[in-house]
Amino acid sequence: MTLLVAEGLTIVIGGRQIVHGIDFFIEAGRSLALVGASGSGKSQTCLAPFGLSAATVTGSFLFDDVELVGAGEEKLRHIRGRDIGFVFQQPLTALTPHLTIGAQLREAWTQAGAQRPSRAEMAAALDRVGLDRPGERLDQYPHRLSGGQRQRALIAMAIAHKPRLLVADEPTTALDAVLRTEIMALLRRLTVEQGMAMLLVSHELATVAHHADDVAVLHDGRIVESGPARQILGAPKSDYARALIAASPRLDGPAPILGPAGAPLIEARDVAVSFARPGWRSGRLEAVAGVDLDIAEGEAVAIVGGSGSGKSTLARAIARLGPIDSGEVRWRGAPLPSRKSMRPHNRAGLQPVFQDPVASLDPLWRVRDIVAEPLRQLRPDLVDAAVAARVEKMLAEVGLDPALANRRPSGLSGGQAQRVAIARALSPDPALLLLDEATSALDVLVAGTILDLLGELQRRRGLSILMITHDLAVARRLCHRIVVMDAGMIVEEGPTERLIETPRHEVTRRLVEASR
Amino acid sequence: MLVLAAIAFTALLGPLAIDWRYDAIDWNAVHAAPFSPGHLLGTDSVGRDLLARTLVGTRVTLGVAAAAALVALVVGVAWGAVAGWCGGRIDEAMMRIVDALYALPFMFVVILLMVVFGRSILLVFIGIGLVEWLTMARVVRGQMLALRERPFVTAAEAAGAPPVTIILRHMLPNLAGVAIAYLLLTIPQVVMIESFLSFLGLGVQEPMTSLGILIKDGADDMDMAPHALLLPGVVMVTLLLCLTRLGEKLRDRFTL
Repeated sequence: MTLLVAEGLTIVIGGRQIVHGIDFFIEAGRSLALVGASGSGKSQTCLAPFGLSAATVTGSFLFDDVELVGAGEEKLRHIRGRDIGFVFQQPLTALTPHLTIGAQLREAWTQAGAQRPSRAEMAAALDRVGLDRPGERLDQYPHRLSGGQRQRALIAMAIAHKPRLLVADEPTTALDAVLRTEIMALLRRLTVEQGMAMLLVSHELATVAHHADDVAVLHDGRIVESGPARQILGAPKSDYARALIAASPRLDGPAPILGPAGAPLIEARDVAVSFARPGWRSGRLEAVAGVDLDIAEGEAVAIVGGSGSGKSTLARAIARLGPIDSGEVRWRGAPLPSRKSMRPHNRAGLQPVFQDPVASLDPLWRVRDIVAEPLRQLRPDLVDAAVAARVEKMLAEVGLDPALANRRPSGLSGGQAQRVAIARALSPDPALLLLDEATSALDVLVAGTILDLLGELQRRRGLSILMITHDLAVARRLCHRIVVMDAGMIVEEGPTERLIETPRHEVTRRLVEASR
Repeated sequence: MLVLAAIAFTALLGPLAIDWRYDAIDWNAVHAAPFSPGHLLGTDSVGRDLLARTLVGTRVTLGVAAAAALVALVVGVAWGAVAGWCGGRIDEAMMRIVDALYALPFMFVVILLMVVFGRSILLVFIGIGLVEWLTMARVVRGQMLALRERPFVTAAEAAGAPPVTIILRHMLPNLAGVAIAYLLLTIPQVVMIESFLSFLGLGVQEPMTSLGILIKDGADDMDMAPHALLLPGVVMVTLLLCLTRLGEKLRDRFTL
């Protein structure tokens, strides 16, 4: 039975047409994934017809033979409340902080007119979404739950009233790779168990395709290709789908060719970092517990781990950009001074690129000054003309139009901003580049081009790289060696191929599984 | 905004265009009604031209406000920036000082200053400035704490910029919008405090005048000459409204 049929669906927001007449359908008990880059109109497609965004919708959108386009607010609310469940991207903000999980679940349960659930029923609902100790969770407030647990709680709420359609808008984008796979598998299981249909929206073709029956690839508000997931993933017909698949790094792709590694560059011994827990006298949280890490000249090393594993903290401590409690870091054999006494020539050798490209550029500065800043601070010997020439050269090297030099960060796209950040990091000629989730905030296609750029720079300049990521497939693209961290400790390390093919530790196995 | 500019402009240049000085007494026209010859808005109980007095009063009030707000801006931003940047114990100590000063009753401090140093307009500046920088320091500290966590600040550190450079070139410009917005919200408060002090007779000295004094004088004669209360009252209300509106608009735009 066909539950949802969209025909000639067109969506206009603020005079701009976002979606240009698309057709799709979902049968009961099956799932459809809408996949596309940001700005492709995929989110609007799943929100606007249900009256959840301020957009004008035309065409036809039949849910269970009821036309939703042009339906009144009252009717839409009724249908939403009774037959449809929603799961959104941000598990951290989608729960009301001052109500317990139980209270929020009860509210979701009764909104469609159902009986008040008993505690046992609610606990069973939480159990079904894979939350451990469900009875206890009912009385907890959202801040006690981790991101993955909150997303599970949200899913429990979305399906509490037994909807016939589950709409999931990027349900896993804010989660790390392992959680991503678990949540997708959970959604998949629930649709089968409850006979629900699922409309899934994502920008990651690879992740989604394994967990959906059908896939529709959206590009600029048009469906460029649709069909069974296996078929699209295995033999894409359109160029765009091919590009999407090629861009998302996979574990089974051809191994990259990496340059040789030389003499030791960084030797970190027994690095430990701890933070004060929030609150008065509540002790300290050990984020990194005595870790050793070596990087050779020209070698790329990835620190891989879930969120909260201490990988970022470790990298920052080594790079002298974050706190460190104890431990020694040697740079080309000589001890690296502490954070406060880093000299310009120390800083110049080691430059970072961060996750959020726009936030890592000062919003008031022009691109030209942003790229020039490390030069002015670290290379006081350069005259203005030399700095300007170098800025031009750096922009060209990262593939940016020199005309962008006068823009401010707000006038750049995410990919452009990340290129500026890379240009800034490379301008003082560092030996080591620290990439802190440098591609995870970007679209698949953009992330792919940034990875290509980094690989090229690595080869051309013989750069060493310390990469922090939660995605093994991304690490594999650039790195000789992978270090897996969990709970502040290194649980496994080894050459990339060996580690991926024969993971020894449980955490590694889960990471490998998540990236398949 | 336009109204505000008009008021400030008139208050600055207006007195030049009027025949009467604010403290000159016209013995022929004590208690003159509005629109009487020579005195467009009449005179007060000792025969001083009300229009001239209102204009000068506005000027004094605005002057005090601007000066006190400037003091608040400089001290508050410096204090808040240092506290927010250093964090930890230094931050704690500095903010506890702010809290302690908050707890002092403001009137008490002003009266004490007056008693010790005698009454002068300078003391009014200092007294008001002393109180107003506290809020500014808190706002700036909060913004600094938020900005410190931004990756671009870490990036600047990686680029080798020393802390002073980071604060001056990256952080202060980024919180300038918020600071200016709060500054504009401070000015109406200062206007209020100044008027209040003058109203109590603690502020500006006769024969110098300010909006507060004019309102007080006007209130004394309210039954006989309501216009003497109305004019400074209207000017003050308009001024406050405009400044507050402008400040709120800016704040909404710049708040992180």
